[in-house]
Amino acid sequence: MMYRLLFRQFLRTQACQLGLLLGLFVGIASLFVGQQFLKKQDRIALEVEEKQQEHIERNIKYHGDDLGLLLYYLKFSIVNDQEPIAALSIGQKDLNPTVQSVNIMTLEGQRYDTDLVNPNKLLYGNLDLGFVIIYIFPLLIIAFTYNLRSEEEETGTWKMVSVMTRSNLKFLLSKLLVRFTPLAILMIVLFALAGWFLKIPFASQLFPFFVISFFYLLFWFSLSFWVVSLKLSSNFNSLLLLTTWLGLVVLIPSMVNSYVANRFPMPEAFTTIINQRDGYHTKWDIEKRGTVEEFYEDYPQLAHYGFPTEEGFTWHWYYAMQHLGDVESSEQSRLMVQKIEQRDAVSKELAWFIPSMHVQLIFNDIAGTSLNHHLRFLKYIKSFHEDIRLYFYPKVFEKLTAESIDWKRFEPFHFKGEKRSFDWSKTLLPLFIGIIVFIGLSAFGARQSFSEI
Amino acid sequence: MLEARNLSKKYGNTDALQDLNLKVGQGEVYCLLGQNGAGKTTTINIFLGLISPSGGTALIDGVEAGRKGRTNHLIAYIPEVVQLYGNMSGLENLDFFSRLSGHKHSQQQLGSLLLKAGLKEEEHRKKLSFYSKGMRQKVGIAIALSKEAKVIFMDEPTSGLDPKATNEFTVICKELANENKTIFMATHDIFNAVNVGDKIGIMKEGRLIQSSDTTTINAHELQELYLKTI
Repeated sequence: MMYRLLFRQFLRTQACQLGLLLGLFVGIASLFVGQQFLKKQDRIALEVEEKQQEHIERNIKYHGDDLGLLLYYLKFSIVNDQEPIAALSIGQKDLNPTVQSVNIMTLEGQRYDTDLVNPNKLLYGNLDLGFVIIYIFPLLIIAFTYNLRSEEEETGTWKMVSVMTRSNLKFLLSKLLVRFTPLAILMIVLFALAGWFLKIPFASQLFPFFVISFFYLLFWFSLSFWVVSLKLSSNFNSLLLLTTWLGLVVLIPSMVNSYVANRFPMPEAFTTIINQRDGYHTKWDIEKRGTVEEFYEDYPQLAHYGFPTEEGFTWHWYYAMQHLGDVESSEQSRLMVQKIEQRDAVSKELAWFIPSMHVQLIFNDIAGTSLNHHLRFLKYIKSFHEDIRLYFYPKVFEKLTAESIDWKRFEPFHFKGEKRSFDWSKTLLPLFIGIIVFIGLSAFGARQSFSEI
Repeated sequence: MLEARNLSKKYGNTDALQDLNLKVGQGEVYCLLGQNGAGKTTTINIFLGLISPSGGTALIDGVEAGRKGRTNHLIAYIPEVVQLYGNMSGLENLDFFSRLSGHKHSQQQLGSLLLKAGLKEEEHRKKLSFYSKGMRQKVGIAIALSKEAKVIFMDEPTSGLDPKATNEFTVICKELANENKTIFMATHDIFNAVNVGDKIGIMKEGRLIQSSDTTTINAHELQELYLKTI
């Protein structure tokens, strides 16, 4: 077979050897980065499991006779469970908290309490396998294909090839296949390593990730072949392809991000906190009764607890004030979530035309590290917060002590997310269209370009 | 075997070739002489199907050249400098190009072809980047042989070769002609042209202005004619 010789010829080139080594090295490094991420998240989750009861017991020791005070200090943790596939596309999972701890006071003030993250780290993101596929693989494809034809012409072999072969196009497609195969094998090896090393289930998680990566690879090969079919010099091809890479992978996604941020500005991120703080703080200066009445409007089932009769501070009044902080910032909070959702939706729509961005968003969806996933986690926290409030309010109003409560039931809660349905056609269609377009353009160009020198 | 009928080629307003008419029979060696830019390589490129003529027809064995590779199986090509893949050996290059043309030979057959082209056996497995120009020419000849082409086009094949290598090349050309191969050669080497050629044409500014039979002219006369013509 001629392919054997084409492979031999290609595998002997330094570009191939260095490119494949680089791909393998960076790919394996990305798996270690993913493993470290998983370990860190698992460690945090484990520590929360260990510390929650300890935290409750310690506070009961100090404030067990005053449930209102105890609940001022007690925090209940919710763990955003992750699956091993998260290691392949960390997304913003390292920014968004894995564990959120809340008490029964106003939620908005606690919702965005997260770990401190080194801002420098945000600049370069995570070197996960998703990054390697989206950023590094196209560069390898460019390095392998930019001179597919031009090299032959520049070194003088093209004329000989043209005389010897019946179809120049077939010859170039064979060369393209020879360049595609090692990269496809490299990708398979990296996915096999990922499955084994990170214990990722194949059928439900790794397979969709792989299929999308494979189509992304095909997209870049078809784009490169179109550039090759333009019959330009190696220098021009490399310049054109690298500019396209820069545009598709870096510049255009940044522009989309900037556009979306400008189209949906979010002053609510600030005003929610201001409204929440004002909503609570101003209640110190008004009559208790009015505050508690407002509270009962939201929770009529608790109205039978009446109004605090004591002078000065009561927990009943205090938690009503806290609740009103959330009530008065609820519209701002709703608007903020709505705008985040709008940003996400518009980004996804625009990503149909930007394969790198589309693939990144799909990777995050599969890995459970997407913005949508985080929003669902935030919604879960809200409902969890409401549940614990409603559980503890009657007990606080009845002035019970810590002994009356079964604290064992307050193990850390786990957010599992939703079972993600995977829409193959919607996911692959943008890539498929891109591939077809560039194959069409290549075929059109090839009719002219490859028939003559 | 080869025929040019009113063949012409224009690049913009420049006539690279004008109304070329010639015929070369099977087993004949036709040598085309002329200065640089006379139109020799353009003629060869049209026959090879690498460029399209602006007018006229180039026929190989009665088939119009260049139409989607319809004549490719009939032809082989040896350029001034045989450029092959430097990271493969002579044997691998031969194997590669013969497979590219749809021919499959055993390693033994490939070795025999290289030997026939004059490349010593110990050189067969060396990387081509270590080959001299003469050695590359021999691989080029072996490639032409492997293809079993009826017509071999050569573009200044002895340019830059030392006298010994030129002589070896001439011997091989004669052997090929004896095997009924048609050879169409563009050259500057008048003595070699007389030595190996059956017919000689002299081109100037895209026109064939002189055509002779080597049985009627010797090298000295040809040199005088050439100098007078150009």
